[in-house]
Amino acid sequence: MTGVLPAELGEHAFLRGLPAEYIARLAQVAAAVSVPAGHRFFEEGGRAVQIWLIRTGRVALDLHVRGREPLIVETVGGGQVVGLSWVCPPYEWQYGAQALAPTTAITLDTTAVLSYCDQDPVLGYQLIRRLMTVAADRLHASRIRLLDLYAAPSQQAGAT
Amino acid sequence: MVASRRTETRDTVTLALRPAAQPIGSHRPGQFTMLYAFGVGEVPISISGPPNGSELLQTIRAVGAVTEALCAAEPGRLIGVRGPFGTDWGVGLAASAGRPADGELTTPVMADPAGKDVLVVAGGIGLAPLRSALLTMLAARERYRRITVLVGSRSPQEIAFAGELSSWRALGAEVHVTVDRASAGWRGDVGVVTQLLDRVDIDPAATIALVCGPEVMMRLTARALAGRGIATADIRLSLERNMRCGIAECGHCQLGPLLLCRDGPVLDYERAGPLLAIREL
Repeated sequence: MTGVLPAELGEHAFLRGLPAEYIARLAQVAAAVSVPAGHRFFEEGGRAVQIWLIRTGRVALDLHVRGREPLIVETVGGGQVVGLSWVCPPYEWQYGAQALAPTTAITLDTTAVLSYCDQDPVLGYQLIRRLMTVAADRLHASRIRLLDLYAAPSQQAGAT
Repeated sequence: MVASRRTETRDTVTLALRPAAQPIGSHRPGQFTMLYAFGVGEVPISISGPPNGSELLQTIRAVGAVTEALCAAEPGRLIGVRGPFGTDWGVGLAASAGRPADGELTTPVMADPAGKDVLVVAGGIGLAPLRSALLTMLAARERYRRITVLVGSRSPQEIAFAGELSSWRALGAEVHVTVDRASAGWRGDVGVVTQLLDRVDIDPAATIALVCGPEVMMRLTARALAGRGIATADIRLSLERNMRCGIAECGHCQLGPLLLCRDGPVLDYERAGPLLAIREL
């Protein structure tokens, strides 16, 4: 892992538009990472203390199902983020995460980020708005997938 | 007459049709025909091949008695064809070439996106009418800037034209596929097709989007594209209603002031958006 310049951090879509003073503060607890395909970022149930701002590549969020291969529930790519579980109790990863392709990202130490937010609620508000947008987008996408839009009429829920 | 039949997925086939008597009229990408399974019935089906003057490619999903009969048609079988009908994606032709004269259409003719980026967004079998436009553009690749194809599918097994994706890439298209439900061994993307938009570099002032899929998917995609700054007039959708006559006489395909067999199926979001927002029309 290597350090990250504030300008690099500010370029990521997740933080775009955040005031420079906050970007500079977050850069102090940020690191650039580059991992090969197959790298596991974290496992379901582990302590959630990081967020990854994906720059390039692809990451799968997966769930272990007994007796089966890990089931991919969603994939995330460049410009998107991995790791939201540090925001709310129980602060444990709800899924596992694995790189499906060589992936570059910026990771933030979220213990430090939460401390910054406690000290400066304006920064906390800015970050929570961004995280809420990510969570809302994923909830919306999950609901759309539940609709099973591409199913044939006979396959859809409620079909007679 | 069915010249050949190719299985695309578990319930979808592509038929290549050749004239048994009268020549089949030439089509423009995005148009549809009415296909008649003798003794069973007639349904509107998208043309999935580029105009080539010799045969008509039609991709059909078996969802009812007529489509099941069409899907089962083996080479040599006769099928009734009326058309082609409706508006098109505006791809591959000068704005006026080969189109009805002014006054015959109530929908403005769409211009070829030559010199622009083209973003193709397909959901499920909605890839069929887009394939016609895509292959037309790839055959004249130098006319267009970036061609990006985003495909959403129910599962890896149900990806339409899965065997062609690598050849589209080889011809100069950037292709991304996502599925709603991954199966074991799938290493591609999982999620709805609109999520892929976040990963695509879009130049909104120079992008024409072609979108086809279930209506909810098109509504969400068009909204997301407009949110990325693409003008609503530059977002083209292919709408589906109950087409019967194909010549704007019976009224079954009415959508507000439009008869989609004539004024559609391809409309820009500027016109289609307000109509899609009405709950019962």
